[in-house]
Amino acid sequence: MTEFALELNIITKKFDNFTAVDDLSLKVKKGEIFGFLGPNGAGKSTTIRMLCTLSKPTSGSAKIAGHDLIKEPSKVREKIGLVAEKMIMYDDLTAAENLRFFGKLYKMPKQKREERIDQLLNLVDMQKWKDTQISKFSTGMKQRINVIRALLPEPEILFMDEPTLGLDPQTTFSIREIIRDINNKGVTVILTTHVMTEAEVLSDRIAIIDHGKIAALDTPQNLKNILSKNDTSIFTAKIMNLTSKMIEKIKSLKVVTALAQQDDHNLKISANGAGALNQIIDTIRIEGGDISSITNSNEPTLEDVFLTVTGKEIRDHANEKSNILQHGNNPQDRVR
Amino acid sequence: MNIINILKDSYHIMEKDLLALRRNRESVAALIILPIAFLLLFGYIFPSATIEQHMPVGIVNLDNGQASIAFVTQIETLNKNSGAMNILNYSSVEEAKTQIDRGNIYGTFIIPPGFSNNLTNGKSANVIVYVDNSNPQLSSSVESAASNTITGLNGMQAEINVVKMGSTTVNAQSTVFPFTQNIETTIPGKSNYFNFLAPGLMIMIVMITVMTGIPEAISKEREMGTFDGMLSAPINQISIILGYTASLCVKGFAQVILVLTIAIIFFGVTVQGSILLAFFLLLLGIFSFVGIGILAVSSSKNQATGTTIVNLIMFPMMFLAGIFFPIQQMPWFMQDISKIIPLTYAADAMRKVMLLNANIGDVLTQILILVGFGIVTMSMAVILFRKSMTS
Repeated sequence: MTEFALELNIITKKFDNFTAVDDLSLKVKKGEIFGFLGPNGAGKSTTIRMLCTLSKPTSGSAKIAGHDLIKEPSKVREKIGLVAEKMIMYDDLTAAENLRFFGKLYKMPKQKREERIDQLLNLVDMQKWKDTQISKFSTGMKQRINVIRALLPEPEILFMDEPTLGLDPQTTFSIREIIRDINNKGVTVILTTHVMTEAEVLSDRIAIIDHGKIAALDTPQNLKNILSKNDTSIFTAKIMNLTSKMIEKIKSLKVVTALAQQDDHNLKISANGAGALNQIIDTIRIEGGDISSITNSNEPTLEDVFLTVTGKEIRDHANEKSNILQHGNNPQDRVR
Repeated sequence: MNIINILKDSYHIMEKDLLALRRNRESVAALIILPIAFLLLFGYIFPSATIEQHMPVGIVNLDNGQASIAFVTQIETLNKNSGAMNILNYSSVEEAKTQIDRGNIYGTFIIPPGFSNNLTNGKSANVIVYVDNSNPQLSSSVESAASNTITGLNGMQAEINVVKMGSTTVNAQSTVFPFTQNIETTIPGKSNYFNFLAPGLMIMIVMITVMTGIPEAISKEREMGTFDGMLSAPINQISIILGYTASLCVKGFAQVILVLTIAIIFFGVTVQGSILLAFFLLLLGIFSFVGIGILAVSSSKNQATGTTIVNLIMFPMMFLAGIFFPIQQMPWFMQDISKIIPLTYAADAMRKVMLLNANIGDVLTQILILVGFGIVTMSMAVILFRKSMTS
């Protein structure tokens, strides 16, 4: 038996001319919680869909729980559970009927199925809602059922696509507890998220994914260590009369490895090498910039890592709409 | 082993779908209302074959002889038996024509002056039948009712004349009417439009339910995201098609039984043939239509497109398949089109079995055509469906 739950070998997915997943190769050990971190449209969901046999890779191969993804899709399906971004349940049916239906598709013996349904409902504290129609549930309650639906057939690997998206903090917390709990019982968890903290608090290892490629892959701590090792510093500069020309100038500096505009005044700059700070300040001053503050964060965050390896902030993509609403900026004017 | 699993999974999917249906009152209501509305609507908007009863018709007597008065009385007596017309007397042609213009009567008998004179002098006495032919359907009914009446009166008068001629050795009736007819029909009793309509309507309702139901169900699953749950489960994709088809069969059969019950109880429809064979034909019809539905959903990205494609195919089929009126009444090019529509054969076979008590051998051609059509569309559908599922 292999020690890997997942082995991806240069997997690629193309939609017409657009490459969603680009030569992805990685291995995930059994019992790991592995996080795909990236902005919307980075290729996380497409990757998950391919690994769940819902989408055929354009090229490449993969082994899921020891079975070939292309040649033995039905074997793969027996070993995996899926918590997709859209909840997998029927509104007209009750919680128990939903679970029962999927239990039958996984050919669970009746007695075992019923026992497992009760056990899982207890796990998420939903026992008293067993015979209530899903349509009467809140989003948080639905998501709890959605998660245990995937756990029902006792999968070896659980795929979770944005499992806490749109949930209130309490439910988010309890879903994370459940993820840790089932992981302790030996289930490998593959999750995608665009939330830094989620990836950081849950994952044993993280793959930062952008444009369908892995930009960095390591434990959260090691990822952060990259920054201190290679002498990278992250500055946050507040400039009152920020212009796009100024941003271009800063970006063109050799020492600057990445830059992200946070709002009308704040820039986050990742820079490398000695004298970087001086060069940046000089450039701003030459352009007539009015610097009101510059801070240097000592303890790098995962967000800083993301900026350094992808050259942009994750918020740029994820919260694009709300940023536009807040500042009334035209996104084309902004520099990424 | 594999086939048993496919069937088991299909059953679970059907069970799930019917359970969801039972929970959703609006869907149940839609399921019941559709066939009833169809039966009533299509049953009443098309002209029925029988002559109308109690058509208002005028009579104007411009003659003042004895014979014309007797003639009017005879018309009224004869009409009382048939009940075809309601006869109203008018004193002038103008008055009768005004009534026609106002739509109060459909036509009028006009007895011209000299009617009685002609009769007594041994000439033919002419009666004018003035008909409002702005409505072709009505005018032909009035014409035939009027000419039936005149023919009847002619016969009566002829018999009297024969007797008057004094020959006692001959039978007056057989002298006047040497030929008589007895019309016997394939279906006992009067011809009934609902008898013609019901079998075709049954198969059409099943077709609509299955063809619109498949794209609807699968697009809904896809858009809700529940489809991923089924596709990531260890089941054969064929089970999804089979499960939904089975569920739609149950719904379609429930509708058909409803239509048949209403047709029998309220519209006097009679079933001459084997109801089991009829149900077998319905199943065969479903088999030949379901592929089209799957093809539509597999080749479209969302529910709106899928439904549009299905409607585009289904709508002409409904009207060209000879369900509401016989194909023989259509122009030749339309008849040719209707010959390539599977619903034509399904409806034809259904009618033959239900009305003429045809056996399986009598409708073998239709059965083979349906099976062939089903195999072709289903194989295409399954290939395309599998492909569209993993894009």
